[in-house]
Amino acid sequence: MWWRALFAGLFGAILTCGAAAAAFDRAAIASQICGGAAGMTDAANAMLAGLVDATTDDARWAAALSGAAIDRSLKCGPQDPAIVAPEGAVNAATLSPVEGSVGTSPLLSLKNRPLFETVRAAATLRSGAAVNDRGAALTALERRAGSLRPEFFEKAAEAETDAGLRSRILAVGQAALLNSPDMSKRIAAIERIAATPDRRSLTRIEALKSDPAYQTDPGFRMAVDGGVASIGRWLSVSNALNVFYNGLSIASILFMASAGLAIIFGLMGVINLAQGEFIMIGAYVAYAVQEALRAVAPGLIDWYLIAAIPVVFLATAGIGVALEATIVRRLYTRPLMTLLATWAVSLLLVNLMRVTVGTQNLQFVTPWYISGGRLLMGDFIVTWNRLFAIVFAGLTLGLTWFVLKRTPLGLNIRAVTQNRAMAGCVGVATRRVDMMAFGLGSGLAGLAGLALCPIYNVNPQMGSNFIVDSFMVVVLGGVGTLAGTAFAALGVGQINVLIEPLYGAVAAKVIVLLMIIAFLQWRPEGLYAVKGRRK
Amino acid sequence: MIAPKPPLPARALDDRVFAGVAAATLLAFAAVALWPGLSGYRVNIIGQLACFALLAVALDLIWGYAGILSLGHGLFFAIGGYVAGMHLLEHSVATTGVTPDIVQFMGWTALPAWWAPLGSFPVALLAAIAVSFGAAFAFGWVSFRSRVGGVYFAIITQALVYVAMLLMFRNDTGFGGNNGMTGFQMIFGVPFQSPSVATGLALASLGVLGVTLVGCRLLMVGRFGRLLVATRDDEIRLRSLGYDTLRLKLAVWCLSAVIAAIAGLLYVPQVGIINPRVLSPELSLEIAVWCAIGGRGRLAGAVIGAVLVNAIKFSLSATLPELWPFVLSGLVILVALIFPNGLLDIGRWRPALLSRPGALRPQDAAS
Repeated sequence: MWWRALFAGLFGAILTCGAAAAAFDRAAIASQICGGAAGMTDAANAMLAGLVDATTDDARWAAALSGAAIDRSLKCGPQDPAIVAPEGAVNAATLSPVEGSVGTSPLLSLKNRPLFETVRAAATLRSGAAVNDRGAALTALERRAGSLRPEFFEKAAEAETDAGLRSRILAVGQAALLNSPDMSKRIAAIERIAATPDRRSLTRIEALKSDPAYQTDPGFRMAVDGGVASIGRWLSVSNALNVFYNGLSIASILFMASAGLAIIFGLMGVINLAQGEFIMIGAYVAYAVQEALRAVAPGLIDWYLIAAIPVVFLATAGIGVALEATIVRRLYTRPLMTLLATWAVSLLLVNLMRVTVGTQNLQFVTPWYISGGRLLMGDFIVTWNRLFAIVFAGLTLGLTWFVLKRTPLGLNIRAVTQNRAMAGCVGVATRRVDMMAFGLGSGLAGLAGLALCPIYNVNPQMGSNFIVDSFMVVVLGGVGTLAGTAFAALGVGQINVLIEPLYGAVAAKVIVLLMIIAFLQWRPEGLYAVKGRRK
Repeated sequence: MIAPKPPLPARALDDRVFAGVAAATLLAFAAVALWPGLSGYRVNIIGQLACFALLAVALDLIWGYAGILSLGHGLFFAIGGYVAGMHLLEHSVATTGVTPDIVQFMGWTALPAWWAPLGSFPVALLAAIAVSFGAAFAFGWVSFRSRVGGVYFAIITQALVYVAMLLMFRNDTGFGGNNGMTGFQMIFGVPFQSPSVATGLALASLGVLGVTLVGCRLLMVGRFGRLLVATRDDEIRLRSLGYDTLRLKLAVWCLSAVIAAIAGLLYVPQVGIINPRVLSPELSLEIAVWCAIGGRGRLAGAVIGAVLVNAIKFSLSATLPELWPFVLSGLVILVALIFPNGLLDIGRWRPALLSRPGALRPQDAAS
């Protein structure tokens, strides 16, 4: 390989010049270029080597000079070499105007032409003003990328402002190395690609298995196999993280939907079938807050999710208290009748919402702080909207735990949950506690609705999609324990996400239900049963 | 909690109401059979109401007498319904040779081979009974064995019917998916267009309803019924006395499931379609609502509730369909708050309406 020997020599020369070699020796190159075919080769190689560290200005000069050599507007005569353009001639080394240039244009040999074209494309990639020019230069470079040093592409990518083009540059650089005839470069390139483990790198390295070298060169085969194995490892880790993350976000919503249910069930033995409708009302109140902000302070509309938190909680808690005071309170000794009565309330709420607001999905603004995400590793992307739901559920869990364990209301709720009659005897106003707890549970459901608005369709029927799942969580978690609810939500969420890609969403639900029925054989009172006599 | 001792039920009133309902059933039977002025539409409505009443009686057996609320009885109803659908399709193909639509939209070339035996009615009837019994036995055994009851049981049955609905909505499950089964041509060799089909089906439904009512009544006033009521009111005491409540509950649960399946079997030919919507949790909840509105634990109440609610539903869905959910929810709340034992309470109701919230009412201690 003729140019490899040249390269080696030139690299050596440039390295001895140290970092100062960044700038071209323009005069030397300009005179070399007029020194016949061998001189032109040297000049082109010098420019190629220098382009790695060249400034934009130097690159522009290199582009002009190599372009002139290709267009035959370069004139070599008795004076300094000059470039002839319609506007007038310029000095080839300084690009300053000169008068009356004469001479002949050196002829590019067949060997030198591709070399100069490479120089022009590489220089344009570094200096082109328009993205399109740089893109075209990159396309021209793609086939000859192997003749450029890998650092060139890295530097070019660093300097590139257009994100799409930047990733293309990197890809071309890596591809160049992968297909380089130098085996050590190929192996190095494989290792470099394997360092960013994602699906694209995997397909690219796997494609190398059909390369003839895979059969003949054991070192290459080892590098390919090692790369595939390492990417595969990372990919499976990132896949597992993805599954876990999705499961966590589903679990957060499930937890928020069922925490209130569990508290109410533990306290009063009553299942509130209208819980799903409280979720729906929470989302609708959040929408009302968004519209109010749009009307009053359009600049703050992105913050509606935060502004709505207290409004949603108070509104749904208020409706919950009203429901408790008018209906549920009168049915305490008849939990199954309460089930039907709260179902009737849910039917009423859905249809009221249908008649007054309509059945269409509500349109929510997606605030900047929950749009997009971040690629953490491999294919694992942390999306902000899911993270919002997870963090929100975490805060809700913490706050609810605080209310239950550290406030007088929580103390009363726990006392009445454990032994209603005894709590009443020692002076706890059990009926008031019931009302407050019902309000708390409804408020939690409303907050679940709030967390759902950015990631879910909000319409009057949305509540019914959660109700069965959240019942399962309550049954699995056991009554009246926050920890049980949280663990059950995690379990149901994760199992759903694990099974779904294998057998589909319906099978996931079937399997979860069967598992819960089987689980109840073993622990009929749920995960976290309150200790006591078994009825 | 120890419930206050319930006073003796107003048995005389109950007896009279039951006799009234039985007489009404007989009257309807006679009217459908003998009165030529009854239009085919009316006859069809009467037949459907009889099926709903049968379904309500099935639920009343376990909720009213054994105190076990199932929010998933639509499952058994659907088992009967799907078996009826398969039978009618097989029968239609055998008698007319016309390929039904289901074959096309499911992408089959013919009905599945394993449906073939269902073309004979006795086999279909046996299959409906066997499948509903088997499903009820399996689910009931695991639930009652681990003493899952009350609200837990209600929720799990609701989840069961919900999951069944999701399964049946899938085309891959193989029962017509979203579209279900329809386009039945013939029943017992008679084309569906013939007016005698509606009459025959309505008579069959009323007949089965009457027989079931009388049979269940006899069962419930006897030893089995008394043990069931005892299980409802104080299961622990009954167990301590040496009775096997698991068997009792399992027996009545399976009986109820089979009755519900027969109701489905009778219902599907009358409406000409079966699809997964009968498995929606709302329908199963509505069955409980019929019982609650009519009054639980009296069989007659279930019939009255089912007929009343569905009659209102039929008349409203023709004129003001948007109003129906409001009427239904209003009725349920009214019954829950003011007539805890259903509309049969009206006779005993005194306007001491807001006496003491939460005051315990007789017969409700365990429900």
